[in-house]
Amino acid sequence: MSKPLPSGRFSRLVLKVNVFLLIALAMVGGFMGLVAYKQGWLVHQSPLHFVTANALGINKGMPVKLHGFTIGQVGELSLAEGGVDVQLSILGQYLPRIPQGSFARHARESGVIGTAVIDIVPGRSMMPLAEGALIPFEPARGVSEIIDEFRRQAVPAFNEIKQAMAQVGRSGEDISRILAALRQEVEQLPATHRAVRELVQQTTKATLELNRQAGATLAAAERAAGTVEQAVPLLSTKIDAAATQLKKTGEEAQATLKSARPLLDQGESAAREAGDVLSAAKRVWPLADSFKDSSDGMLPIDSFEAQGRGRGR
Amino acid sequence: MSRPLALWLAAALLALAAGCSSPVLNRGSPAQARLTEAEARAAALARSGDYGGAARFYGEALRIATSLENADAIAANAINLSIVNQWLGRDAQARDALAAVLDAPRVNFSERRKIQTELRRAILELAGGNLGAATLWAGEAERHCAQTSCEYAATLLNVRAQIELESGRPAEAARLAQAAAERSRGEAGRAEAANALRILGRSRIAAGEPSAAFEPLRSALDIDRELGDPRKILADLAELARAADAAGDADGARRYQERSVAVSRAMHEAKSGAEMEVLLRR
Repeated sequence: MSKPLPSGRFSRLVLKVNVFLLIALAMVGGFMGLVAYKQGWLVHQSPLHFVTANALGINKGMPVKLHGFTIGQVGELSLAEGGVDVQLSILGQYLPRIPQGSFARHARESGVIGTAVIDIVPGRSMMPLAEGALIPFEPARGVSEIIDEFRRQAVPAFNEIKQAMAQVGRSGEDISRILAALRQEVEQLPATHRAVRELVQQTTKATLELNRQAGATLAAAERAAGTVEQAVPLLSTKIDAAATQLKKTGEEAQATLKSARPLLDQGESAAREAGDVLSAAKRVWPLADSFKDSSDGMLPIDSFEAQGRGRGR
Repeated sequence: MSRPLALWLAAALLALAAGCSSPVLNRGSPAQARLTEAEARAAALARSGDYGGAARFYGEALRIATSLENADAIAANAINLSIVNQWLGRDAQARDALAAVLDAPRVNFSERRKIQTELRRAILELAGGNLGAATLWAGEAERHCAQTSCEYAATLLNVRAQIELESGRPAEAARLAQAAAERSRGEAGRAEAANALRILGRSRIAAGEPSAAFEPLRSALDIDRELGDPRKILADLAELARAADAAGDADGARRYQERSVAVSRAMHEAKSGAEMEVLLRR
C-alpha cells in the first residue's frame, strides 16, 4: 500500500536542482580561485636568472629573498654552457625594488644552518633590473669549508701550543733536578755550620794553649780570636736565613711546576676534544649533509679513461 | 587536554618519530658487515695497485649488495667494478658490470647513481671507439644531469668534447673543452680541468693550430704533475711532442719525446715492481 505523495513536494524540482548545481559550481570556482591566488598564479611573475658553476643545494621552489623578505621562488633549472642556468620567478611588484648591480647568493636563514634560500643582495644603482636580466651569483661557503678553514688555521696553533707545553714540561724536569740537588745542598748546610762551629771552638782552645805558652804574643792572638768568635755566630745566622729562604723558593717552584703540568694535559685533551666535537658535529642531522665526503667510496669517474688509456694504469 | 585528544597527539608524535628515524635494517647484520668489509678490502687493493684482487672484492660486494637489495651499494659497486675491469683491459666485463644498474629499471636508483652509471657507459663506449653508443649514453647522462644539480657536468662536457674530436669536429670539441675547463674550477675538479685543457690542445692541433696548443697542454701538464698521475703526464708530453712536430720544431718535439720515453720507462718499472709486490703478498 503506497501512500500518495503530498502535492507540491516535487514542484519546481528543476529549479531547485539548478540552484543546487549553481551553488556547487560557484563553490568549486571559488576554491580554484583561492588556490590560484595562494599559488600566485594570478600574479605577474618577472623572471631573472643566473648561471652557477655548481647548483648543488639549489632546488626548484626554493624561496628568493630580498632583505630577508620573500619576493619569489626558484623556477626551472637547466644545464647550460658554463654551468646550470637557474631561473628565478620574482613577483612583478617587487622587481622595481631590485636595482641594477644586484647579485644573488646562496644563503641559509640562520647563518650556517636553517632553510636554504637565494638571497638577493641589492646593488647601488638607482635603475631597476630589467625583466629576464642575468645577474651574478655567489655560491655559499658550506659548513665543511668553514670548518676546514678553521681547522687549517687552528691545527698549526694547537701544534705550536703542544710543542710549547712539551718544552715547558721538559724544562720542568730539568728544574726539578736542579732543585733536588739544591735541596740536598741546603739540607747539608746545618752540618757544615756545625763543622764550622767545631772548628772555631778548636781554634779557641788552641789559641788559649798558645796564650799560656807565649805571653805577649798570645794577647794579640786572643784579641783576634775574640773578634772571629763574634763574627761567626752572626755569619751562621745569616746562612740559616738564606737556607730557609732557598728551601721556601724550592717548594714554591715545585708547586708552580705541579700546577703547570696539568696545562699540558689540558692542552692535549682540548685538542682531542676539538677533534671529537668535529666528529660528533659530522653525525648531527642538520650538519651531516654538509660534511659528506665527496668520494663516498667511489673510484674516480674520469673522462681521461675515454681516451682508451685507462688500461695503461 | 581531553583524553582522546592526548591519545591522538601521542599517536601523531609516534608516527612522526617513526618517519624521522633512519633505516637501520642492515646496519649491524652479518651480511652488512661482509658488504662493508668487501668494499673496504676492494678499495685497499685498488689503492695498492692489485686491480685483479680489487675486481674480485668489488664483485663480491656487488653480489652481497644485490642480496640485500641495497640500491645505492649495488650501483656504487657496479661502477667501481666497471672502472677496475677497464683498468685491467676487460672492456666487456666492464660493460657487463654496469648492466646491474642500466638493465634494472625497477630498482629505484638515485639520479646521481644513474648519471654516474650512464657517464661510465659513455666513457667505456668512447674508449672502445663506439661513437654512436657513446653519444647516446652521454645524452642520457646529460638529460639526468639537467634535471638535478649535477656534479659531473665537467666530466660530461669532456666526454662530449672527445666525441666531437673523434668525429672530426675540432672546433666544436674546442668549444666544449673550453666550457669544461671553466666548469671544473676548484680543487675537486682539477683532474677534469687538466683533461679539458689536454682536449683543447688536441683540438687545436687537429684544427691546424699547433702553436696555439702549447699553452693549454703545458697548463694540463702542470696540473697533472701536481696531481701526480704519470698516465696523464705521459699523454701531455706525447701531445706536446705532436704539437711541436706539427709546428715545425723538430728539436722541441725530440725533447718532449725523450721526456715521454723516460716517464714511460719509469711507469713500466713501477708497474713491474707493484706487480711483483702483489705476487709476493699472495
